[in-house]
Amino acid sequence: MSFLRLEGLVKRFDDFVAVEGMNLNVEKGEFVSLLGPSGCGKTTTLQMIAGFVTPTQGRILINNQDVTHLKPSKRNLGIVFQSYALFHHMTIFDNVAFGLKMRKIDKVESDERVREILSLVHLKDFAHRYPRELSGGQQQRVALARAMVIRPEVLLLDEPLSALDAKIREDMQTELRSIQRTLGTTTILVTHDQSEAMALSDRVAVMNKARLAQIDKPFALYEHPRDSFVTEFLGKSNVFEGSIKDANDGLSSIDVSGLNLLANNTDHTIGQAVDFSIRPEKIRFVAQGKGVIDGTISSRIFLGNQWVFQVETSIGEFSVVSLNTSHIDIDQGSVVGLDWTPSEVRLLTREVA
Amino acid sequence: MNTLSNPVNQVRPYLLSSPALLLYIGLFMIPLIMTLMLSFYSYDVDRGGVVAEFSFTNYVEVLSDSYFHGIFFRTFALSIAVTVLCVLLGTPEAYILHRMSGRWKSICMLAILGPLLVSVVVRTLGWAILFGSKGVINESLLAIGVIDTPIKLMFTNTGVIIALVHVLVPFMVLSVWASLQKLDPMIENAGLSLGASPFIVLRQIVVPQIMPGILSGSLIVFALTASAFATPSILGGRRLKVVATTAYDEYLGTLNWPLGAAIAVLLLVANVIIITTYNKFIERKYSQAFK
Repeated sequence: MSFLRLEGLVKRFDDFVAVEGMNLNVEKGEFVSLLGPSGCGKTTTLQMIAGFVTPTQGRILINNQDVTHLKPSKRNLGIVFQSYALFHHMTIFDNVAFGLKMRKIDKVESDERVREILSLVHLKDFAHRYPRELSGGQQQRVALARAMVIRPEVLLLDEPLSALDAKIREDMQTELRSIQRTLGTTTILVTHDQSEAMALSDRVAVMNKARLAQIDKPFALYEHPRDSFVTEFLGKSNVFEGSIKDANDGLSSIDVSGLNLLANNTDHTIGQAVDFSIRPEKIRFVAQGKGVIDGTISSRIFLGNQWVFQVETSIGEFSVVSLNTSHIDIDQGSVVGLDWTPSEVRLLTREVA
Repeated sequence: MNTLSNPVNQVRPYLLSSPALLLYIGLFMIPLIMTLMLSFYSYDVDRGGVVAEFSFTNYVEVLSDSYFHGIFFRTFALSIAVTVLCVLLGTPEAYILHRMSGRWKSICMLAILGPLLVSVVVRTLGWAILFGSKGVINESLLAIGVIDTPIKLMFTNTGVIIALVHVLVPFMVLSVWASLQKLDPMIENAGLSLGASPFIVLRQIVVPQIMPGILSGSLIVFALTASAFATPSILGGRRLKVVATTAYDEYLGTLNWPLGAAIAVLLLVANVIIITTYNKFIERKYSQAFK
């Protein structure tokens, strides 16, 4: 049995459906992200787990105990809020000790545990400061320490890094991950940042329009997205509408705007409408006429570690990403061939609008 | 490009603020200084009333006479009682208002601000109608048999306190409400998730963080009660004197303006001392909430 289970969770506000038929199983010690655009229901899901929002239907089980209707204060969960929600009138030490005080843990043990967790988040020397005297990244670590010191069954992170600068955010990601590994706490992270979700999680659950779209390990999710929403939410892709024309020898041929393109076989039937998808970094430049399709470079952008090209072809515009490993001598306006191996192509069932 | 070194620019701020400054000097500073001067003059009927001779007579009289001690004591006891009641009623009221939404919030807000929209005399006379021995409150209580004889509310401290709390509680509510607006909406959830009961969350997390609002609200209420005139005058009558009505009586009853001025100055000084001391005390105790 999984440690945290969401069974058919539904939340409706009047006639607005926030979460619909959400099923999720999280193993003990696992780090799972809920990823999706704003309004997809990820925060509502987190709030239902926390107990701040009561589900309309469905159950929440933690360690085989039904907590669906348990008060938030009885769930023993650690929560890090987007705004940190620190107690500004208390010192860092008292902030962290608050949960232990509520649990009536004796002073000696409590002090010891607070000191321990503060040194784990590198804030040992800040114990007697007040939250407003700390930087954003430090406040974030206080919030994490306060949530972790109570040894929660599950740690819930609500966009915890979104208020930080890009550089500090990266450091915090590494730190968060290592602290979570050290303590082995089952963790749910809510985020709209796909790179954050992939960097931190064991598994990523992509949500769209109140539903769970797909859940898998980051690499598998990126390489084998189920539909074009997941494809385009996790990184970029070149997606073209097409239909299956033929399938044999392990390869299918797909008709995209009259052009025959190859891809590995899927369980789609001949004649079925599909989205043909190829990620920008899977495409190689070859000499004109030597690749799958020819095109004209319409623009190129240099991003330091990589180049991003826009290539105009007969079936539409392609985006191509090349690492800046050597000098790339392709100017705007030059005609090139684009090539890729059919196994890199993903065929996605067209989303029914 | 140092604009401040230009003489015109140095003068400009003073020029721009001079209309307000003149108004302030003319309508506030000058009367205040004149009252202060007047309080050091003496009063002698045989020498034609106010005598412009410097003396401490009035202050000695007020500070040594137990009659005035009683009045000052009553005024500050009244102010403390009204302030405490306003804190006890206004803080929860503001919190509930803060948690409400939509139409009910507007309706309740209007009900709270209502008293401020009615003239103080009209409102106080309204209370007089309710409070009298033949008033609405007594008549109804007698009719339903809760009491056998009318409760005395007119010309009592209780009556004055009720009427003052009624009109001053909006200041408390608005002030606390403003602090609640600045509170992190997730702060209560943070407390709950750490295992605190809703009561402990209120007591240990919300209240300390809205302390600036409670403080400024109670300062406003205290100062307004200590200097309140119309309500104690109408509902308290001439026997239940407070400092403001006493100063008024000295000016217009006995025509002893210097004594009235001394009483007014002492009220001002006492108010300033009490308020600044209280302010310092609370700010020190809840220093972090004020940042």
